[in-house]
Amino acid sequence: MGAAVGTDEKGSVNVELNIIPFIDLMSCLTAFLLVTAVWVNIAQINIQPKGKTRDTSNVQKDDETVTLSVLVQADRIWVGLSRVNEFQEIPKKGDEQDWEKFETTLKDHKASAFFNDRADLEIAAESTTQQSVKYKDLIHAMDVAVKVGFIDVGLSDPAGLAARPSL
Amino acid sequence: MPVHKAGSRLYHSVPFKHLVKHSGSSHGGRSSNISLNLVPFVDMMTMLVCFLLMVFSASGQLLQAQKGLDLPIAESRETLQQAPVIIVTKSEITYQGQLVATVESALRDDSPTFKIDALFERLDAAAKKIKEDVGMGKLPKDLAKACDDAKNNQRPQPGKICPDGLAILQADESTDARLINKIVNTAKAAGFDNLLFAVKNK
Repeated sequence: MGAAVGTDEKGSVNVELNIIPFIDLMSCLTAFLLVTAVWVNIAQINIQPKGKTRDTSNVQKDDETVTLSVLVQADRIWVGLSRVNEFQEIPKKGDEQDWEKFETTLKDHKASAFFNDRADLEIAAESTTQQSVKYKDLIHAMDVAVKVGFIDVGLSDPAGLAARPSL
Repeated sequence: MPVHKAGSRLYHSVPFKHLVKHSGSSHGGRSSNISLNLVPFVDMMTMLVCFLLMVFSASGQLLQAQKGLDLPIAESRETLQQAPVIIVTKSEITYQGQLVATVESALRDDSPTFKIDALFERLDAAAKKIKEDVGMGKLPKDLAKACDDAKNNQRPQPGKICPDGLAILQADESTDARLINKIVNTAKAAGFDNLLFAVKNK
């Protein structure tokens, strides 16, 4: 970048910086960034498929640990504990699932002695032709679970849940 | 309207008196030089560049935009990483951009294995190739370390998950959960034990 010192009068101390190359560079950079900009931020929820599925040859044996199971249905969400066989029903609120109550329920479980030092949870969606569960509800349930602290989310078939409230 | 003789007459037809007055270049009687104040322009450009650099993201290149595909919204902020992509739109299922099955046919199929056969074949082939690449050490250092950590049951860093058994599921938000279950079962059967569900940030 060139600089001209004292160009106006004799003994002048004014400095005129040549900012044209700077403006050129900025213009090119702006054009490049505008063209390559991604306006939609994509993120991910990491899940692991559970080993228990309808494929009976693939069913794992229940172990001694208590598992927190979430079953998303079209009109309610069930939160249950395996071995203890304790279930909580969260009915739909209006058109949407009651996500606030679901979050509170998961927070309570996270604070309990069973899951204080654990981060695993299994989720399943029971969808039928008449009463279908949308993928966005499944994602919302996983997102809430991750937010609460259950970051090891496992997606299971409804029949493969460790705690099955309505089956 | 009067007709003028051709020639330069900047300050005659349009007398930029306000500019000439403040430009400091009006010394010397008939001088016509005007120095534009570029400082606000440079300020604006600087701020725009800073903003664009801040929002710059390469994650969009991992996924393809398709007709009939609206990703669900979530609060998760984990960055996506490169992996084979299964796309489920409102009408069809594609793997790496190639049509595998239609949503309708996949939902109608009541096979006891609870798998989508056409998708299984492609995923199985892809899983074997990835496993081979991992076995031969054809991975960047950070991902090779992630694979070693996975063997020791250590939690991977976000965006640094071992590519062995890793796939991205990019599904429309209105997809029936039965189809998601089928795809997850199919992926698991093919050896993809780690699925990344692509979501839009809130």
